[in-house]
Amino acid sequence: MKRKRITQKLMLYALMVFISVITVGPFLVTLFMALKSPGENIYGTIYPTDPTLANFTDSFSKANFGLYFLNTFIVTAIAIPLNLLFCSLAAYPLARMDFRGRGIVLSLIIATMMVPFQLYMAPLFQLAGELGLRNTYVGLIVMQVATAFGIYLMRQAYLRIPKELEESAYLDGANRFQVWYRVALPLVKPTLVTLAIFTFMGTWGDYLWPLLNSTESSMYTLSIGLAQLSQNFDGSNLKLISAASILTTIPTLILFMALQKYFISGATDGAVKG
Amino acid sequence: MNKENIAIPVSVTKTKAVKRKNKNLLTPWLFLLPSIIVLGTFLVIPIVEAFHWSLLDYKIIAGTGEFVGLANFKEIFTDTTFWLALWNTILFLIIVLPLNIFLPMILAVLVNQAIKGVSTFRILYYLPVVTPMVVAALMWKMLYSQSGPISSILVSLGLFDNPTNLLVESSTALVAVSAITVWKGLGYYMIIYLAGLQSISKDVYESAEIDGANAIQKFWRITVPMLTPSVTLVSVMTIIAGMKVFEEIALTTGGGPAGATTTLVMYIFNKFMSLDVSIASAAGVVLLLLAIGASLLQMKLTSSREDDLRA
Repeated sequence: MKRKRITQKLMLYALMVFISVITVGPFLVTLFMALKSPGENIYGTIYPTDPTLANFTDSFSKANFGLYFLNTFIVTAIAIPLNLLFCSLAAYPLARMDFRGRGIVLSLIIATMMVPFQLYMAPLFQLAGELGLRNTYVGLIVMQVATAFGIYLMRQAYLRIPKELEESAYLDGANRFQVWYRVALPLVKPTLVTLAIFTFMGTWGDYLWPLLNSTESSMYTLSIGLAQLSQNFDGSNLKLISAASILTTIPTLILFMALQKYFISGATDGAVKG
Repeated sequence: MNKENIAIPVSVTKTKAVKRKNKNLLTPWLFLLPSIIVLGTFLVIPIVEAFHWSLLDYKIIAGTGEFVGLANFKEIFTDTTFWLALWNTILFLIIVLPLNIFLPMILAVLVNQAIKGVSTFRILYYLPVVTPMVVAALMWKMLYSQSGPISSILVSLGLFDNPTNLLVESSTALVAVSAITVWKGLGYYMIIYLAGLQSISKDVYESAEIDGANAIQKFWRITVPMLTPSVTLVSVMTIIAGMKVFEEIALTTGGGPAGATTTLVMYIFNKFMSLDVSIASAAGVVLLLLAIGASLLQMKLTSSREDDLRA
């Protein structure tokens, strides 16, 4: 009986390790490819026989990934705080105030969550051109600043906190903005972290909008730089693509390791996302 | 003294309440203003324009177009490429849906056990979710290449005689692309199932054990039926996300070979790139109608259960 249990446990672990190989394997293959030296055969062995960081430095010096990294960082670093501010502001009256038009605003927000980006990308592309936003940071940031999903997520968070704390703040003479900022906002901090993660993931890895709006290579983000680099998908370029892929992923991995708990709880919060 | 102390707050409350009511007219809109400006400009206006363009013969370079009624819709409905794209989208969902329902469920059951190291496995299974889609697509494109690891595994398993890149064969390209989507979503749907699993009472399993049920029986007879709400959620999310599948196709096959992976979104994208923006808009409207259908289904199926899944 005991032996049977041990073999059962071993089989379970073997299965779990096998699944890990599938989920993590592609990263390892890519990392190994990125570490291969210039002369090494790309598919000779999976692991590098003569590991080098040359491809990483090349991605900066030859493929301009330093600039793409900076562009992506600037856009993300500005988009996140603005998104948190705009969404947490807009969601508050939708959760807590009774006013004419609330129902319409709320249903508009929920309705726009269903609209696929591909429907309106052409008019948006033209509008961005007319407003002089083509090849600008503002043109990229503005798409992430206020999101229907973010407003919806924050509203759900406000609805979950008890009203009494806010009401006693009103009795102490605070106005609407003070109550929002001092009482409500601190209570929804975990959701703010979740929203920050969503905005980070949405902005850092965004592909289609930067592809349309950043036509000059000086305004490329990492995704666009990678896509351009992958136009030539063989030979030594594959090592460079691998190195750039790893570099693009590292910040998201660091954030994930630091905020694991929020990533996991955010997954179920995000289940409403269309 | 005492009386005053009680009296003052009450009167203050009254005037505050009156004041608040008057201010109410403007205050909510002040909170909403920044988002309304941004979403109005960059979301609502383009959406309205897209509907408008779908009825025009719009030339993006000239910036004008004539009203053509439903001619664009007529054109896409008589375009075999459009029907192929719709079919490919459906086929993609048929491949992905069962995999998305069952594989993450198995993962969730595995990492829900009280054994050593499960939290590490949870992290390892979640890694693809946090990988940027462009990176995931390129990593898999590399794995699929003719001299790459997947090709050699398939040959050594005897499934193919010669090294084959699954992405360039029209018979396997869509399956190969679907695998990327499934791989990237495994960890995400695992978490959805995990929330569902943790709401199942342990007593149910205990009484099944007393009745002599083994692990497999417990999985099929208890876990799967009890997870029905999560299965519904995962299915609808898969359908909604699957209808919008783009990066993993655009960056691996580009819709090829010979249109084998051209989904609805790829069709719209291609029309946009060839500046047929009115056709693209009309196809976008069709996509929206399908997305609304799926979203309404989701709301209907999940609204009552949202809170249990939020664990």
